[in-house]
Amino acid sequence: HKLSASELEEKYGTSINKGLSSSRAAEILARDGPNSLTPPKATPEIVKFLKQMVGGFSILLWIGAVFSWISFGIQFAQGAESPFDNLYLGVVLALVVILTGIFAYYQEAKSTNIMASFSKMIPQQALVIRDAEKKELPAEQLVVGDIVEIKGGDRIPADIRLISAQGCKVDNSSLTGESEPQSRSCDFTHENPLETKNIAFYSTTCVEGTATGIVINTGDRTVIGRIASLASGVGNEKTPIAIEIEHFVYLVAGVAISIGVLFFIISVSMRYKILDSIIFLIGIIVANVPEGLLATVTVSLSLTAKRMAKKNCLVKNLEAVETLGSTSIICSDKTGTLTQNRMTVAHLWFDNQIYSADTSEDQTTQPFDQSSPSWTALSKIVTLCNRAEFRPGQENLPIMKRVVVGDASETALLKFAEVILGDVMSIRAQNKKVAEIPFNSTNKFQLSIHETDDPNDKRFLLVMKGAPERILERCSTIMINGKEEPLDSEKAEAFQTAYMELGGMGERVLGFCHLYLPENEFPDTYPFDTDSMNFPTSNLCFVGLLSMIDPPRSTVPDAVSKCRSAGIKVIMVTGDHPITAKAIAKSVGIISATSETVEDIAKRLNIPVEQVNRREATAAVVNGMELKDMSLQQLDDILCNHSEIVFARTSPQQKLIIVEGCQRQGAVVAVTGDGVNDSPALKKADIGIAMGIAGSDAAKNAADMVLLDDNFASIVTGVEEGRLIFDNLKKTIAYTLTKNIAELCPFLIYIIASIPMPIGTITILFIDLGTDIIPSVALAYEKAESDIMNRRPRNKKKDRLVNEQLAVYSYLQIGIIQSVGAFVTYFTVYAEQGFLPSTLLGVRVDWENNAINDFEDSYGQEWTKYQRMYLQWTGYTAFFVILQVLYLTQGRIIRKLFIRRYPGSWWDKNMYY
Amino acid sequence: MTKEAKKPFRQSVAEWRQFVYNPDSGEFLGRTAKSWGLILLFYLVFYGFLAALFTFTMWVMLQTLSSDIPKYRDRISSPGLMISPKPDTALEFYFNKSDANSYAQYISTLKKFLETYDDSKQSENINCTPGKVFDQNDVADKKACRFNLSELGQCSGKEDKTFGYSKGTPCVLVKMNRIIGLKPEGEPYIQCTSKEQDMVEINYFPPGGSIDLMYFPYYGKSLHAHYLQPLVAVQLAINSNSTNEEIAIECKILGSPNLKNEDDRDKFLGRIAFKVQMTE
Repeated sequence: HKLSASELEEKYGTSINKGLSSSRAAEILARDGPNSLTPPKATPEIVKFLKQMVGGFSILLWIGAVFSWISFGIQFAQGAESPFDNLYLGVVLALVVILTGIFAYYQEAKSTNIMASFSKMIPQQALVIRDAEKKELPAEQLVVGDIVEIKGGDRIPADIRLISAQGCKVDNSSLTGESEPQSRSCDFTHENPLETKNIAFYSTTCVEGTATGIVINTGDRTVIGRIASLASGVGNEKTPIAIEIEHFVYLVAGVAISIGVLFFIISVSMRYKILDSIIFLIGIIVANVPEGLLATVTVSLSLTAKRMAKKNCLVKNLEAVETLGSTSIICSDKTGTLTQNRMTVAHLWFDNQIYSADTSEDQTTQPFDQSSPSWTALSKIVTLCNRAEFRPGQENLPIMKRVVVGDASETALLKFAEVILGDVMSIRAQNKKVAEIPFNSTNKFQLSIHETDDPNDKRFLLVMKGAPERILERCSTIMINGKEEPLDSEKAEAFQTAYMELGGMGERVLGFCHLYLPENEFPDTYPFDTDSMNFPTSNLCFVGLLSMIDPPRSTVPDAVSKCRSAGIKVIMVTGDHPITAKAIAKSVGIISATSETVEDIAKRLNIPVEQVNRREATAAVVNGMELKDMSLQQLDDILCNHSEIVFARTSPQQKLIIVEGCQRQGAVVAVTGDGVNDSPALKKADIGIAMGIAGSDAAKNAADMVLLDDNFASIVTGVEEGRLIFDNLKKTIAYTLTKNIAELCPFLIYIIASIPMPIGTITILFIDLGTDIIPSVALAYEKAESDIMNRRPRNKKKDRLVNEQLAVYSYLQIGIIQSVGAFVTYFTVYAEQGFLPSTLLGVRVDWENNAINDFEDSYGQEWTKYQRMYLQWTGYTAFFVILQVLYLTQGRIIRKLFIRRYPGSWWDKNMYY
Repeated sequence: MTKEAKKPFRQSVAEWRQFVYNPDSGEFLGRTAKSWGLILLFYLVFYGFLAALFTFTMWVMLQTLSSDIPKYRDRISSPGLMISPKPDTALEFYFNKSDANSYAQYISTLKKFLETYDDSKQSENINCTPGKVFDQNDVADKKACRFNLSELGQCSGKEDKTFGYSKGTPCVLVKMNRIIGLKPEGEPYIQCTSKEQDMVEINYFPPGGSIDLMYFPYYGKSLHAHYLQPLVAVQLAINSNSTNEEIAIECKILGSPNLKNEDDRDKFLGRIAFKVQMTE
């Protein structure tokens, strides 16, 4: 970018006028490849599929299946009675894993497809000079050295060194995060290629003007391409729920193996055959495997994902559903996420008074006092001194939704006027414009001269708007309540105060003034010449100020306060000016009304910033430049000590640093982003949230979740859903574990007391995979506890999905209660059929002996083997039914004990906490 | 989240020791003695309560049962057949007619089984009217019908102490499972068949293998203490050519419409199959 145009021509072997020859271009294309970003290496579908099959729970089930088969093998070799139960069990376990794998895979594939439909865009075209002709080519075929022409509205097709430019402005927000369009020219202005004005970057947009340039980098070698490839280098973190499930698997495995080994020892010392003992051991381990849980968890997660998609959160990865719930810090963009991403008039100042305007998304009227004649004058200036126009054919749309041709502030003013005055275009038509000086950066004002709509008034009206201080310089009078009064120092002071106040709110302030040109000096036919300015541009009458801001979305303050009560820290990370950032942060509640930054305290106490005790300040506004010079410790210090933080003027690269800083604090970090350059941060974050509307493909690829409406409030809904699913999974697991004990106990008693088998393998499968799936899934529909958004986010280390108390509760308490209940039923069934409990103890060997067909019961009756088996099955059924009944009673208890964080009574504390 | 650096071994041991016993807080395995005590107390009370509840419910349940007859008898509507002696492994008899040891087990089992049928044990039993169901529903003191061992003829063990095993004519007693309240209809009798008809000749004691109706119904262990179920002895006269051959025999109860003998799944309902192999 330091080279001159001719040097460039030489370097790239091209000609500014003729461009490359087609053949040369084809050569370079063959050498460099097409001008497009290589998509991140897609995991092969089969690998994705297999991944679903082996993660977390699945492993547990696979182990269970393998053990079942081993046990089957042993029993089969021994010629035991019903070895096929174990074979079936193994097959069913394997089937469960495979089916849930397919289901989860299908779910994810579905959301990936939705993503794909988003990213499909019309292939980009570029206007290229080749063989001395202008050609429309797909942007992909651009090569280094091509001469391209761009105009307002185009996306820049590659990294381009400009060689000529007319009023060219580019929106670099996707690269640097700066939301203001930046002007581009062919002058070399900065050593850093990112800062210099003569380079336009791939994937940014040209907002206005035209330019011609030489392509200097294509595809992955562009700046954006390099950032995108950086993203793929950032490793993906394990999701919290995956960690939880792993923890759960360890726990279950631990319990299974310890009970198994314990009973192995017991059964060996009870003189069971070693082989039998091994079968018992395997049986116990397999019985501990929660067969239905995998399916339940997957179904619950995808149900929630579905529900979230309805609320505009599209979840790419099922497990991310829960991650959002454990989020403790949200790093949010400002523009578009917290704000509406459009300038809107927020305040007015006239008659020495500040009025505020409605900035909501769907305004139809403005509530402030419009009776003052000053307002009439001001409204006229606003209407007339404005070049923006509605695109035709939108009469039926609400004003706020109409598309406007013109820059952001003019658009704001136009819509503002349209809302209050009605048809602006007809007003303009009635006040015919006779001359105009558009805004430029040297005089910083815009001026136009109009005929008036009063046919008796032949005067011309000169209206002007611009930077307030420049406008005021040109005024000698000020309008108060419709009367022109001289502008004395007192009034100027009032203006200054108002200007500072509005500016201090982070708003862009414009001043308005007018002048009725005297009829005698400026008759109808007076030739206005805008170049020589043959009309007065001073001694005007100052009318008022209008200030504009990109206002927060109306749902955001509520969402932020919800986050706050949910213990989630919201950090704003923006490329905007600190003052604007702070103002928005204040208005949405990221910085609460009462808290102060170090600077605020310094100002209040009138002491230098250095003397302020940093601990006193709860809020902090950190400038990107400061951040650059900070050590990691300093950053950690800020993140730790301030609860309300705004990072302003940050580059997207710094976003990554901030995210890492938050993660060092042990927080689960959610990050929003839309630009390509956000993708490393999105990937690094525990949950990356991309914007569905404004987001780039790279961002969506890197993210775990996509906000379809770009609205911060949707994140909060997501958090709520995430927490809900965590609670509900807890309930589900407590439910499942409890049942596990009630299913395991019979087996243990069977071994120790040698009673007939109380419940069979197949019956257990029936419960786990049949009747229980429905109530377990139903638990996923459980409504949120009322305090769900008033709790602190769960502590990754302490609030586990399955913790000691849940296990203790499930295994040692409810599980035992249920087993006791089930055994009463079991003994009742046998007793009523003739086998009193005393007869049952120790009968296992004879009971199961095929050759004994005159087994005597307590009443002297004799039973054949088949009759006993039949009775045993009746027992299974009874056991099954009673367990179902017991489960019915369970849901409420679980809910109370596990979801409440602060239990009251002493034994609650001792037992569970 | 940055990966935690692996803790040095010594430190983790120290942490463990700290966990097992923390002298500062007096915590043992993460809880203070008081806390442990409360927990133990809780579980003691909790499980104690559960045990009491269990015992209580069981007791209540047992109170609802009669000691005479079970509440339900729907699982055994029809009796199974069984033989005595019953070989250890499956129902297969292997013995050497000339080796007393090879069948000593069978003989002692038979002897033991028939002890209860000894005349001296049947002193309280009465002689009932043959061919008629002996209904005693209204009688408080239920009498048992006498079953004379002599009805078993050569299989009674009186004449031949080896129950025919030494002569190659082994006896097998066939009995019908006791079922409370069962009243067979018709004239039930046991019939045994062998696929290898020429190998074995089958004799029944009492003749025709009949089971007399007077032994029914059975009133249960407590009311009918001296009850003796009727027996049918089956003597297998094994053809001398057929020694060393495995002979499969199936016995069925016939002649009574309410005694099933063809159930697909229950191979012992009203029938029994066994094998005999005699060597010399």
